[in-house]
Amino acid sequence: MSPAWIFIGGLIAYPLVRVLIDAFSNANLVNPAVSGFAGLGNFATVTADPHFGGAVQHTLVWTAGSVVGEYAIGLGSALLLNRPMRGQGVFRMMTFIPWLVPIIVAGLTWGWMLNPDFGIVNRVLVDIGAVDTPINFLGDPDWAMPTCIFVNIWRSFPYYTISFLAALQAIPTDLYEAAAIDGASAPRRFASVTFPHLRSVSLIIVFIHIVWTAVNFDFIWVMTEGGPNYATNTLPIMIYRYSMKQFDVGAASALSTMMLIGTTLVFVVYYRYRRKLSEEIVG
Amino acid sequence: MNVRARRRLGNLGAYALLALLVVYCIFPFYWMLSSALKSKTELRGRTPTLWPHSFTLENFTRVLVDHDFTTYVRNSLIVSLSACVLSLLISILAGYVFSRFFRMRAVKFTNLAMLASQMIPGVLLLVPLYIIMRNLHILESYFSLILAYTTFVIPLCTFMLSSAFDSVPISLEEAAELDGCGRLRTISTVILPVMLPSIVSVGLYAFINAWNEFMFGYIFISTERYRTITPAIMLFKGTNSVDWGGMMAASVIAVVPVALIFVFLQRYFMAGLMSGAVKG
Repeated sequence: MSPAWIFIGGLIAYPLVRVLIDAFSNANLVNPAVSGFAGLGNFATVTADPHFGGAVQHTLVWTAGSVVGEYAIGLGSALLLNRPMRGQGVFRMMTFIPWLVPIIVAGLTWGWMLNPDFGIVNRVLVDIGAVDTPINFLGDPDWAMPTCIFVNIWRSFPYYTISFLAALQAIPTDLYEAAAIDGASAPRRFASVTFPHLRSVSLIIVFIHIVWTAVNFDFIWVMTEGGPNYATNTLPIMIYRYSMKQFDVGAASALSTMMLIGTTLVFVVYYRYRRKLSEEIVG
Repeated sequence: MNVRARRRLGNLGAYALLALLVVYCIFPFYWMLSSALKSKTELRGRTPTLWPHSFTLENFTRVLVDHDFTTYVRNSLIVSLSACVLSLLISILAGYVFSRFFRMRAVKFTNLAMLASQMIPGVLLLVPLYIIMRNLHILESYFSLILAYTTFVIPLCTFMLSSAFDSVPISLEEAAELDGCGRLRTISTVILPVMLPSIVSVGLYAFINAWNEFMFGYIFISTERYRTITPAIMLFKGTNSVDWGGMMAASVIAVVPVALIFVFLQRYFMAGLMSGAVKG
């Protein structure tokens, strides 16, 4: 256990403290001469940034859109894959594959498929007459965010699928038999037997994904680098820009601190729900 | 009759939906592979072709030879394997303690700390990690990446392994102890062989995680010599006219090892992941 402590302490706990300290001091990545206590100056820098408001909004849209979409497709596919039928194992395996792909590969492959000049998707859309001219999915500010969300859903939903599958298999079959004898229709059975059993898993994975998605840097950076014209600029992208482009460690840390507060709030909400749910389930 | 007809219709609908799902999941991979095998003129043609007419391997040779992807693949392998072994070593020990001494206060505290550390993602710690690596003078080397990857997978690996240890009966251990084995010997010769499947799945998780990681590799490494494969693919995007064929070939190279591992060991992998997922 102690080696684990060394790693976690050295590379998570120490940096965490460092972030909190740096948030209140002047610091520069390449110029050690910049130092001293900054008070709330860094926070002022961040909130005064003209792109800050937009980034908060984009982060919320990005997170909410992704999690809702992933949940819907994940639940749907899990119900589908839970039906006893031939080839089930193969189907399950194939559904799971997107999750294994490096994010960068997922982003770039979809970028290529959605390319306005040579991409297959636009070609198909034009051919079936859905659109007149090819859509510049990643280059058009109105389309860029929905496109990023779509690709993120593609890559992340399998995690929901297997979690739901595991939970679905734990539901005793006699509950369904009893419901069927009582004459419950399929939607009714889902609402009063299946779904209550999925609440606990749902809570965990939705919560984890809210945090994971909100802080995800790779996806958006790979697909749009926050553009076009800051249309997909999210908070993690801003942290990266502050630290690696402007070398402003103070501002980056201040923003990190704000995001930490955000994730902590999410955690508190999760914890509350969790308690309530356990009480309900136990009775 | 009516019931049977309805069931058949239901099955048909389910298969149709499944087919749709599979196309959604698999088509991008097909397209990646088929693009990688096309010539430049075909890629830039007005009508994209479903099947490569000008079947060619030039994209792969260009990527591997001219763009030096052999080096990147080797670097990725070195980093991922080391991270995998190191995190297994650490989380086996930690998982054992978690499982056998769960009543100790220190263990409970560590458990909580690990859970909390799962909630703190890499981006937020990017800057201090960068500075630490710089102060240790390991910024342009394998060590920085190995350390970072190991740290971020330890918590989940420990949770998965500790639940695996839970399923090994203590009597097995006591028997070994009576035969005069020390604790480390007991773990390595008696318990570990029993839980090999879990160890394989945890190791795979650590490996794939390291192989796929992008951000740290992108930021910590800027020299050709130590660059790993995921940031290397990003380099294709930097230029003005993107070399799509090369990029797709590079993507295929990045996906193949992971896909192979998964297809052959998916039984282990799914089981391990599910037990980890349910436990949260």
